[in-house]
Amino acid sequence: MNRVNIFKSVLWAITGAAIAFGITRMFFGLGSVSNLSDATPWGIWKGLNVIPGIALAAGGFVVTAIIYIMRRNEYHRYAKVAVLLAFLGYLTAATALVVELGLPWMVWHPIIYWQHHSALFEVSWCVMLYLAVLFLEFITVPLEETNRLAKIRRFLNKYKIVLVFLGIMISTLHQSSLGTLFVITPEKLHPLWYTPLLPIQFFISAVASGPLMLILAVLTISYLYRKPLEKEKLAALGFASMIILVIYGLLRLIDIGVQGKFPLAFEGTWQAVIFWIEIALAIILPVLLLSLRRWRNSAPALWLATISAVVGIGLNRANIAGIMLLQTGPVYVPTIYEITISLGILSAAILVFLFCLERFNIWEVKWQDPREKPESPPEFSRPADVWLGTPRIAGRTIYSLIFIGFLSLGFAMISTERIRGAGAEEVPVTKARGGDTLFVNGNRDAYGVTFAHEDHVGRLGQNESCVLCHHMNLPLDKQSGCHACHRNMYTVADVFRHDWHADPGGGNLTCGECHPPESQRLSTTAKPCAECHKDLIPPGAVITVEQYDAPSYTDAMHSLCMDCHHQKAQTLEGKENLAQCATCHIIDIPDYLPSEIEIKFRDTTFNHVVVPDIDTAGAEKDHSI
Amino acid sequence: MKAILTDITRCIGCQECVIACKKYNNLDSDIPRQWHRNDGLSARNWTSIIHKPDNHFIRKQCRHCLEPACVSACPVAALVKTDEGAIIYDAAKCIGCRYCMIACPYGIPRYDWDKAVPYIQKCNLCYSRITQGKQPACTEACPTEATIFGDRDELLAEAHRRIKADPDKYVDRVFGEFEIGGTSILYISDIDLGFLSYPVRGETPVLPKTTAPAMNAVPPAFIGMGAVMGGIYWFCKRREKIQQEKTNDKEQS
Repeated sequence: MNRVNIFKSVLWAITGAAIAFGITRMFFGLGSVSNLSDATPWGIWKGLNVIPGIALAAGGFVVTAIIYIMRRNEYHRYAKVAVLLAFLGYLTAATALVVELGLPWMVWHPIIYWQHHSALFEVSWCVMLYLAVLFLEFITVPLEETNRLAKIRRFLNKYKIVLVFLGIMISTLHQSSLGTLFVITPEKLHPLWYTPLLPIQFFISAVASGPLMLILAVLTISYLYRKPLEKEKLAALGFASMIILVIYGLLRLIDIGVQGKFPLAFEGTWQAVIFWIEIALAIILPVLLLSLRRWRNSAPALWLATISAVVGIGLNRANIAGIMLLQTGPVYVPTIYEITISLGILSAAILVFLFCLERFNIWEVKWQDPREKPESPPEFSRPADVWLGTPRIAGRTIYSLIFIGFLSLGFAMISTERIRGAGAEEVPVTKARGGDTLFVNGNRDAYGVTFAHEDHVGRLGQNESCVLCHHMNLPLDKQSGCHACHRNMYTVADVFRHDWHADPGGGNLTCGECHPPESQRLSTTAKPCAECHKDLIPPGAVITVEQYDAPSYTDAMHSLCMDCHHQKAQTLEGKENLAQCATCHIIDIPDYLPSEIEIKFRDTTFNHVVVPDIDTAGAEKDHSI
Repeated sequence: MKAILTDITRCIGCQECVIACKKYNNLDSDIPRQWHRNDGLSARNWTSIIHKPDNHFIRKQCRHCLEPACVSACPVAALVKTDEGAIIYDAAKCIGCRYCMIACPYGIPRYDWDKAVPYIQKCNLCYSRITQGKQPACTEACPTEATIFGDRDELLAEAHRRIKADPDKYVDRVFGEFEIGGTSILYISDIDLGFLSYPVRGETPVLPKTTAPAMNAVPPAFIGMGAVMGGIYWFCKRREKIQQEKTNDKEQS
């Protein structure tokens, strides 16, 4: 194993796991893998992949402008790398959008439904056009491998300058429009970042980050493949970027000064700390390192300066696109799935980049994976050669194994709870408290029901009325509370303990005693509990127990009371409000409650109201009064 | 232009409007999810009652702004402000970008986070009912006439009349008359309702106008950038040519 093998193996592993999570997202919705919420509709896929990804892919138009328009031919050998970097950068953004959009198969809709007031409309148009331009710019490289389409290649090469012009003009628009996206949120974006000049700041910082990203890529390639560096050229590119970074920094600070927001930067809030970290990484450190000739000609300084600037400008985009937007709900922390998908998209892009580097004539010399010798036969003959075709592919069996292994691991890691419950919180139910009047408040929020038990007994007909509501007890119990079976506030609870029945130390029953022969052994076909447990169902109970699942506490309570209440609201004189929520639900804690009861959500301005399905028409059950 | 006026002092918190909304719009029953915000609105609750201390009930719903940020933000015109005042949503156009959720200053649009085919969910002022000449389900259901439907101008007049008639009771302001360009959902209240929108520093801007300068600058920027680059290209090319000629001359001499 060498550097390249280890690096690629890690990338394949992350990609594999990310694909597993991506497939889950496609089938079970955004909530199944992400922590995105109504309060945080855009998460790290946008804040880390799409918006910074596009900013850092600016190398494509900046470097082609330097080479083809400013006619600086000494950088010509970096042109293909820059275009490839940009192409892949935009592809990662597009891939992240496919994961991130709710309806990714509609992504082409801006082509036919026009809405020219929207910054996002312009961004989507420009990204689509620029992807096409980058594709045409890059496609000449793979075409060099074949003679079949030489005409197309020559045509594209001849009119390359048109593509370069288009690329620059389109990029100018959408790099700045990404900033315009957040001009519409003056009340949400933190004032240290909010300015009407966001579009201009986005464009200038993108121009600065383009060459820096190229330098970082060249440094990485030369490290991985142990190739010599052309430090002077890189340093010259870095110096140009530095000048633009200085302009960006001045614009940023002057803008904050003119708006009089500098006091905010010294307030000691966490936002101020991140602001200074961002300024230090994106502007101060790279400018310092690149300004001195002695420093910018040394590889470590170049490494440090480019990484710092790339991280800093990425942080700037992430701040504006998410971190510094007003928190209107619980703090958003991305899940491990989200982070893996985010990294997986980047990993896949880097793999494609390395593949192109090894396969095509991008550096004017072909780079090769040191482990692989395409001309010589593979090191050992395996069945894999038969399955996977050519030796070139079979030689990559290690990567395939790692990929498949981590794909499976990814599927294994997905929490079934998350998919099945899709974010439903299981809130345990606590017992109703009180004496003659019960305070029914399963989740102990401040929106309970005062249930006058004695009054209802009196109205419904004394002792005969018990069975109107009470329908089941636990074994060996005569007065099980509702909370004993309806254990979850909002989700169905399983009340049957299979192991207790089948276990030798428990019931020690054989299968046939509950599951009839010749049928599938399912809960639906098993025999009812009451056939053995004669004491479970009180004699004459109106509500029949047909399932082994207890409905949620809210559903159980609502369906118990509301049919009758709706009926009475229509028939009784002067009782129209019987059907209203507020008739039963009260907001304060009743006085008769024991003082030790702890109310959990006393302070909240709102308590989660669950409005159930109500079937008023069919409420003709026998609730005789 | 139609509107809804909600008088907070008359609301008894009975939730009839919430139930009517769910019934008319065929919304499923809901359970708390981890992605809900703590204001009762969700993909299946288009309106909700917020409880504030001392028995104040505030009905939250889409404000149907006169200068809607969501409509200006939507890249495919899936959200449209109709002549009746309702902001309606066309699910067939939506691409699921959720930019409207970012743009909305009241935090109204909600999303089907648990669905493989998710849509934006929000109040549409019962558009199908108001085009038939009926009033929305929520105002029809209200037992105390706390929330009423009508022409915006008439409701504004009514709101000012009520405030004038009882200035001790009400805060002297019709919420929704001017904020963020004005809204079609108006409130009068005896407490401050500033919490319904996000706090704005300084003057309340009309949100679609904030992005207008940048969006109007798009065509000039496109052509200008092309012209500047063309100029540089011509200049560099010419310099190259002159240098070439010079070296050629030297070689000849």
